[in-house]
Amino acid sequence: MKPATKALYVLCIFFALSMLGCSSDGPKVSAEINHSASLAGELVEALPRNPLQWKVITSEINQTDSTMSTMYGNDVAVECARTHSQHDYPAGAVLSLVTWTQWEDPRWFGARIPANVKSVEFVAIRTGPDGRPWYSYEKYEGTPLKKLSNQEGLNPNERAADLLSQRAAVMP
Amino acid sequence: MQRSSIAFFWITAFLSVVFVAIQFVRPELDNPPVTADLQAPPQVKQILRTSCYNCHSNETRLSWFDEPVPAYWMVARDVREAREHLNFSKIGKLPAGQQRAALFESVSQIELGAMPLPAYKRVHPESEITPEQLAVLKKYLSLATPSEATGAPEASAADLQYEKWMQTGSSTPEVAAAPNGIAFMPDYKNWRAISSTERFDNHTMREILGNDVAVKAIAENHINPWPDGTSFAKVAWYQQPDDKGVVRTGAFFQVEFMVRDSKKYAGTLGWGWARWRGADLQPYGKDKNFTSECVGCHNPLRNTNYVFTEPIRGQQ
Ligand code: HEC
Ligand code: HEC
Repeated sequence: MKPATKALYVLCIFFALSMLGCSSDGPKVSAEINHSASLAGELVEALPRNPLQWKVITSEINQTDSTMSTMYGNDVAVECARTHSQHDYPAGAVLSLVTWTQWEDPRWFGARIPANVKSVEFVAIRTGPDGRPWYSYEKYEGTPLKKLSNQEGLNPNERAADLLSQRAAVMP
Repeated sequence: MQRSSIAFFWITAFLSVVFVAIQFVRPELDNPPVTADLQAPPQVKQILRTSCYNCHSNETRLSWFDEPVPAYWMVARDVREAREHLNFSKIGKLPAGQQRAALFESVSQIELGAMPLPAYKRVHPESEITPEQLAVLKKYLSLATPSEATGAPEASAADLQYEKWMQTGSSTPEVAAAPNGIAFMPDYKNWRAISSTERFDNHTMREILGNDVAVKAIAENHINPWPDGTSFAKVAWYQQPDDKGVVRTGAFFQVEFMVRDSKKYAGTLGWGWARWRGADLQPYGKDKNFTSECVGCHNPLRNTNYVFTEPIRGQQ
């Protein structure tokens, strides 16, 4: 190598080094779907409807169980929940509560996010045989989700009544 | 002497002169007085002093190899910028909640490998935060966080807000645009949920919603980069525990948006940023530069197109 070339090399290396400040390491995360918390594929084959296709009514966190839930509703339910403080849901309304176990958000210290689907519940209101409202409650658990309980009648069971009593989260 | 040796001599001489000459071009980098230094246990403080104070305080101490230009130029620029974002020598002036938020953000930036700046870490290996040190910081913050939100509205205030919303619900109020011109998108509440977060650092809970483009992108796994037209809304409420200990959505706190347009918003990571606070939806930010705050915190996520959320699938 000629000394002149050598000098040029030195110059280049020198500048390359000083450019170190402009390069940057990638962070330790990659773009992925949260598959374990998704309601898709085989997991949901037994569900009558996929609540993730509906709009959000509200959400809740159970810190004792370390779970988090989002309540969804079909259009009839959402319309009522967002305009009637009595949330006296009409026939045709369906609510669904999806509950997830939680884990720490690997991208933000201070946050917990959905980990695995724990259960999916439905409360549906229909017009009963005598014209009065008829309530049905269903709960799905397991992998894939399987129907665990199914109750219906003129009155909502305790759990269904609890879900029906939740007011919508304010979304101005 | 051979001709090439003569050339070598002159080139080296020339470079040396240039090198010496540029040493005199030195932007000022002084250490203003420390007015309100961070208050934390010595163990915590020691970690931040060793790894962060050179840039994020008024006690900058340069190493000998930081002194020669052009290294000095870069360091001076970094320090100036770092102090603007976060200055531990003045942090004591902020309200307790904001100080804690800055420390939570610090831990996340360390975990994501964004801080200390990677280039700095390479030449200052002693500044790298070890897993043990990270655990010390996390433990301190977990214990220093009060179990209830400070400044959260009373349950009665949340009730009032709810009643008012029930009455006005479907009619959207007049909402001023964000300072960068992005208009409010009242339809966000009808988008699909793609995730949710419980935030124990500030006692809020959030739903992350995505528009149709976002939902399609999730279904087709085209989320890096997200397609133009993608919009996210993140809605935050104060946590409000009920009498059975279940935490419910209390008063609405804010809604914020990311709107993807790789060309129009090329200057802000390819996303348009906007935030509205309070049930009366006041636009956030003094002027259009408010977005530097958003960009600063989302910036370490360059591998995920600057999006924090790992979306859930099933909306389609
Ligand atoms: C070499 C200088 C340097 C060191 C050392 C350094 N930082 Fe930074 N930091 C910066 C600069 C420059 C910025 C602003 C630009 C950016 O975000 O990249 C910044 C921004 C930040 C931000 C704010 C991001 C935002 O804008 O919201 C946080 C938090 C932070 N640093 C934490 C830390 C912590 C914690 C350490 C120590 C573990 C540290 N930094 C060490 C230079 C540094
Ligand atoms: C201090 C850090 C920080 C700042 C500043 C910040 N964000 Fe975020 N952002 C987050 C985190 C963390 C998440 C993930 C969800 C969560 O934990 O709430 C997020 C998520 C979001 C999302 C949902 C999509 C995604 O990336 O996951 C939107 C929309 C958003 N932020 C908008 C904004 C806007 C607009 C601003 C500025 C006005 C902003 N953010 C400033 C930390 C920040």
